[in-house]
Amino acid sequence: MSKILEPAHAGTLESSDVFVRVVPSEQNGIEIELESSVSEIYGEAIELLIKETAEAMNIRNIRILVQDKGALDYVIKARVQTAILRAQGTVSPDWSVLS
Amino acid sequence: MVFSEVPSSNTIRVQKIKEFLEKEDLEISEDIETFVIAKEDDAIVACGGLSGKVLKNIAIDESIRGEGVALSLMSELLKIAYSLGRDELFLFTKPMYEDVFESCGFKYIEQANQQVILMENRYNIDAYKKRLRKLRQSGDVIGSIVMNANPFTLGHRHLVEQACLRSHWVHLFVVKEDASFFSFEDRYRLICEGLADLKNLTIHEGSDYIISKATFPTYFIKDKRCIDSLYTELDLNIFRNHLAPELGVTHRFVGEEPLCVVTNEYNMQMKKILAKPSAFPPIEVIELPRIEYNHEPISASRVRKLMKEGRLEEISHLVPSSTYRLIETMLSTTSH
Repeated sequence: MSKILEPAHAGTLESSDVFVRVVPSEQNGIEIELESSVSEIYGEAIELLIKETAEAMNIRNIRILVQDKGALDYVIKARVQTAILRAQGTVSPDWSVLS
Repeated sequence: MVFSEVPSSNTIRVQKIKEFLEKEDLEISEDIETFVIAKEDDAIVACGGLSGKVLKNIAIDESIRGEGVALSLMSELLKIAYSLGRDELFLFTKPMYEDVFESCGFKYIEQANQQVILMENRYNIDAYKKRLRKLRQSGDVIGSIVMNANPFTLGHRHLVEQACLRSHWVHLFVVKEDASFFSFEDRYRLICEGLADLKNLTIHEGSDYIISKATFPTYFIKDKRCIDSLYTELDLNIFRNHLAPELGVTHRFVGEEPLCVVTNEYNMQMKKILAKPSAFPPIEVIELPRIEYNHEPISASRVRKLMKEGRLEEISHLVPSSTYRLIETMLSTTSH
């Protein structure tokens, strides 16, 4: 199980991007707070994507705060991965799990 | 468009920012640590400032509005704040820009005179209100006092005593911001020790929502004699519309203020604002006369002045024993 060591962020608030903030958490699993300009249609799909992205990186406990401005899936995934890597202080990531 | 960070120590570039803000009808805040500016053809077209956990002085030139610059600017400001470990942020802006900042994750808390609004990105005020609600006491007269007590004197003691006599219960808030000569920890401890015998009293640690750098930034720039009635109103509106209803506060007690301009102004405005028609019941302000020693009102500023002059004996007539002991220790350690 991987751990998040410190708060970190990735992305911007610009249109078609997403601002992701991750905060360490001791328990409570993966908590996601999503605000999205397209949440009515894609809210659930985005939350699922974020959850799967974190799980694929072996994260079990984390708070992920997300301000989405209509980003496409691969953008959201990349931003979440980057925020987590930064929070772990990872310099050379295992690229195979980030596909 | 190029974004860059400008520390407030860079006086030449800050002067340019000041001119830009004036053009946008905003006064530069003196307590900003870092500005973010956007430049186009060497001219500033947007800027925003960070002061503690507060974002303010945010402005965008008319010529480039509607291009999403606000979102880029906010991204830059948030990155700086977050990398300094400041996650729980406040923001001041004009009411007309509420929507813009809402789309950056900020939520409206309160306004003043339709000129300024305070927003927050975590909306902790809801949790705070819930905590207050649990401390509610029953009674017809529920008093409230807000004090900095820098340090706690017999004058403060008298005010609280009188309030407790006139109320079924009194809620006392201690200003939490660590911007005074005495630390919050010392101020809070001396208040608790000096009032331990009063039974119908709850002492609250202050919060960001009651005389803090978020609700009332100018309170902490006292020596400049800089009084901004706008922020006084903001602070009082939050008290009236958010905090007081949770505790069922009916009265607010203040000491008469012959010496300090900021506090005097605050008291006068308080009477007006807390009684103004609103969705919540009015709160009556009771101004109590100060007690005197040697024909001069007892105040914290007088104690601090005597400390500077090293007149320990005189101080002993102005403060309770716990405060005296702390001052004695402070003076003996500095003189060695």
